[in-house]
Amino acid sequence: MYYFSDKEIVVPGQLLTDDPSKSGPGTYVYNGKVYAAQAGLAKLRNGVITIIPVKSPYKPEPGDWVIGVVVDVKPNSVEVDLGGYNFAVIRYSEQMQPPQNVKIGDVVYARVKSSGLKGVLLDADDLRKIEEGIIISISPAHIPRLIGRKGSMINMIKRETGCSITVGRNGLIVVSGPTSEGEFTAISAIRLIASEAHSAGLTDRVAALLKRSKERVSGNDAGEQAG
Amino acid sequence: MMLENRQVKLIDENGIRVDGRRPDELRPVKIEVGVLDNSDGSAYVEMGRTKIYAAVFGPKEVYPKHLEQPDRAILNCRYHMASFSVDERKPLGMTRREIELSKVIRQALETVVFLEEYPRTMIDIFVEVIQADGGTRTAGITAASLALADAGIAMSDLIAGVAVGKVEGRLVLDINDLEDKYGEADMPVAILPRLNSIVLFQLNGRMTLEEVKQALAMAREGINKIYQLQVEALKRRYSVNQIDEGQ
Repeated sequence: MYYFSDKEIVVPGQLLTDDPSKSGPGTYVYNGKVYAAQAGLAKLRNGVITIIPVKSPYKPEPGDWVIGVVVDVKPNSVEVDLGGYNFAVIRYSEQMQPPQNVKIGDVVYARVKSSGLKGVLLDADDLRKIEEGIIISISPAHIPRLIGRKGSMINMIKRETGCSITVGRNGLIVVSGPTSEGEFTAISAIRLIASEAHSAGLTDRVAALLKRSKERVSGNDAGEQAG
Repeated sequence: MMLENRQVKLIDENGIRVDGRRPDELRPVKIEVGVLDNSDGSAYVEMGRTKIYAAVFGPKEVYPKHLEQPDRAILNCRYHMASFSVDERKPLGMTRREIELSKVIRQALETVVFLEEYPRTMIDIFVEVIQADGGTRTAGITAASLALADAGIAMSDLIAGVAVGKVEGRLVLDINDLEDKYGEADMPVAILPRLNSIVLFQLNGRMTLEEVKQALAMAREGINKIYQLQVEALKRRYSVNQIDEGQ
């Protein structure tokens, strides 16, 4: 017996079901009954009730690729701000230099090694320093939409604007391209995706935006040449 | 003293109170969620002329660092009344009363938040009273629990609170400033509406045991009404702003 309809907005404390084995992420069991622990959309997923929170900060999972800003360099660790609950840590031996010789304020692209009670650990081996570009920040919940099915959305933006775009699972994105117009277009497209992530037909609208910008840019070039 | 000279009739012969309410009637309640853009979660609660904003920041890194707990989050609560919230300007800064109320609000909230979900972090809660007309601590808790829910923080239930008072020998629900000042007793109560447990219970003045029981029953009824409005406000906030399910 379920006491909610699919994709219903639930509030903390709302009774969801009497069957404690159905308790999934975002719910809790009290006196053999399942209640909502977070405000969000309730859904049955893989046989358990899952709550998709309306907003929540980034929760690191091992294997995620993230972008972060170095906030502190210590004798055997580097602290990185991912915009999550805690700073992530990169450990290295005291006899060595920090990986990639990172300094405070540097932006790094790294893989999450582990995440748990001891904090978030980033992998030092495949760490990459990001040298240039524009950082923008969107909600981590919108990242899957930005990437699209098998990367279709992000590849389209890359192709149409000629920019290289590094996407962190934590919601930070670095855009870097040969022209400022291209960068501007890419950022507008990303902002559009972030603001309309929930709506259908988004791919077409992004394609239209990219096309419009392209025409405008080539129009300007022609005008300059004529003048 | 001036107060003793003042003759305030708090309840008239028909049992109607100074602001025209029946003894078991709440003031008009207005609740909104997500009102402050720069916070992680926020809420606004208006009960009659009492107006309160609550904002939540976090979970985030703990400062000062030594307060960090390896297995759970810490709550940091500040109840504050704006200088202009009362008739006579309240000096800036935290008074004794505000420090105490910060503590009782924090303790009430600690019972619902799943602190162990957010180890090594701190959650800041700011309760700012914009206009005070009695019942600010209970309205503050009502607002703070909504702000926590709005921030997406895991919690077992919302909290709703209301104060029951005794004026001219009669129990009245949701007392205002006049009834608080000139009445005989003031009993703020905060309850988890779903789990039905009391998380804040204070009593200023004198009541018999029977009156306390009766007052508690009145508070429960008022709290259920406030809770309905809380749920409505939360759902209203998110139905306009549906989220992506791709996660």
